[in-house]
Amino acid sequence: MQTKTAKPAMEVKELFFSYGSNQILKGASLEIERGKITTIMGANGCGKSTLFSLMTKNLTPGRGKILLNGRNIRDMQLSEFARKVSIVHQYNTSSDDITVERLVGFGRTPHRKLFSGYGEEDTRLIEWAMEVTHIDGYREREVSRLSGGQRQRVWIAMALAQNTKILFLDEPTTYLDIRYQIDILKLIQKLNREYNITIVMVLHDINQAIHFSDRIIGLWGGRVIVDGEPGQVISAESIEKLYGIQLEVTEIEGRKFVLTV
Amino acid sequence: MEQQMNQINMDGVHRKKKKARAALSFVITAVLLVILFFAAVNTGSLQTGFVKLLKGLFVEYDAHVAAIWDLRFPRILISMLAGAGIAVSGVLFQAVLKNPLADPGIIGISSGAGFAAVLITAFAPGWYFFTPLAAFAGGAAAFFLVYCLSWKGGLSPLRIILTGVAVEALFSGLASAFNSMSGGDRTGAAAIVEANITQKTWEDVSVLFPYIIAGLFLAVLFIGECNLLSLEDKTARSLGVNVNTTRICISLSAVLLASISTAIAGAVSFLGLIVPHIGRILVGSDHKVLVPFSALAGAFTFLLADTIGRTIAAPYEVSAAVIMSVAGGPFFIILLRRSKKYAD
Repeated sequence: MQTKTAKPAMEVKELFFSYGSNQILKGASLEIERGKITTIMGANGCGKSTLFSLMTKNLTPGRGKILLNGRNIRDMQLSEFARKVSIVHQYNTSSDDITVERLVGFGRTPHRKLFSGYGEEDTRLIEWAMEVTHIDGYREREVSRLSGGQRQRVWIAMALAQNTKILFLDEPTTYLDIRYQIDILKLIQKLNREYNITIVMVLHDINQAIHFSDRIIGLWGGRVIVDGEPGQVISAESIEKLYGIQLEVTEIEGRKFVLTV
Repeated sequence: MEQQMNQINMDGVHRKKKKARAALSFVITAVLLVILFFAAVNTGSLQTGFVKLLKGLFVEYDAHVAAIWDLRFPRILISMLAGAGIAVSGVLFQAVLKNPLADPGIIGISSGAGFAAVLITAFAPGWYFFTPLAAFAGGAAAFFLVYCLSWKGGLSPLRIILTGVAVEALFSGLASAFNSMSGGDRTGAAAIVEANITQKTWEDVSVLFPYIIAGLFLAVLFIGECNLLSLEDKTARSLGVNVNTTRICISLSAVLLASISTAIAGAVSFLGLIVPHIGRILVGSDHKVLVPFSALAGAFTFLLADTIGRTIAAPYEVSAAVIMSVAGGPFFIILLRRSKKYAD
């Protein structure tokens, strides 16, 4: 594929945002490369959640713009945006008795026309989303009866049913124990490698970010101060700049590890 | 692998059981409604046999049947229409406010509508025709008040109920006050305040009918959106749903149903709470089945309340709204105590 020369999937240009007098973003600029896994990192209050909300149309920027395939997302209808970008939020709820299959079917919402049921294409994509995430085995079970890890797969499947080229995930491993954390991250990696879905996520765990990302974007004080491949940009200095704490960074077999204790 | 297959089968059996229960609930409620309908027709000082009734209605004139037709049919139909309207209104409010305790009566929508209807009836009786419109405006105003006053960066279920109780008290107080000021005890205004449907005529049915049908049609139209609102707002938005606009549209439909019902049948509490709640237990929370079931069960419950009210102390009548309050109050308390979500 000629993704090297292709335009970035998304561009964020000189983004400013404030809550009242509290300036959160102060001119953040970045690009999301097509077909890559990009992880946004930073300390609490660095603006990464705000950036995530702005890039997913949950907030509108005070100044600056966000381009999706060259078009300002501000000028897009929510439904049009939902056909191009899917989002898995950190915190999710559903009614107690909805089944896995029905919930995944919600992902077809932006593609459906008024008063029409699920078509062949819808059914095919719902099936595909459940297979890829390995939840087709309990499609008829209530989501409320699933474990945390299974449930997270259902939410990812719902986003996949939207059939978009870009997938955003906000701290997809929170609330999960380590086994399910790795499980979900491997699933995300598979979605990227096998289905060429561009991934943008927020992660808290530095080492997981290093190992599962093609690119790290580090925010501090409302600006992007770290941007590049994890092997190149992660160092004791950049960690200190990002988190304000001195941590050792070692290298084992060419892979970097931040010693987080 | 085998274990997984077993699990799939078990899930399938579980689903099938639930579906069977839902279907059975529909059939039983419908049958009960038909039985209740004929029982209600035959309850009171005038009585007639089933065959005689059908004959009187469709074959030849019968003075008894004609009297029943003019006196009893309107109130029965109004009970059913208002019951369906209020119950579905409750379903919609619960979806919009994400609050299973939301009830058009408890949160003041009905009394807002009732107040506006009392104003028209007491002071501009010539504008009777505009009563539904005024009631809608009153209901919408009450909803707007509750929504704005409970908003604090989000809507907590308990805060909505508390604000609603205050708004309800305000408007029902105002309605009573204006009713007293207009001097009439037997006026139409008093009928609205006391939710008395004894004197209802076919004219009232013809006023109520089109609005309820329109409201139910809107409710059916919003079934998909109601289901999507069960997700977090952010998640619904990520599916392309314009959450705020959707909320307003569904709320207005709910206000329409509750207000029109109130304008004709008076303010009724708890109906919009109890019926959807039982509906969720019997048919599940998918609005595709919950909305039609609530309409059916709402019609049944209100008619049952009215019929009980007519017979319990005959020849005196206890209004259906009073019956609903007496039965609904304890039910509401049980709900409050049982659900952990609202405990603190």
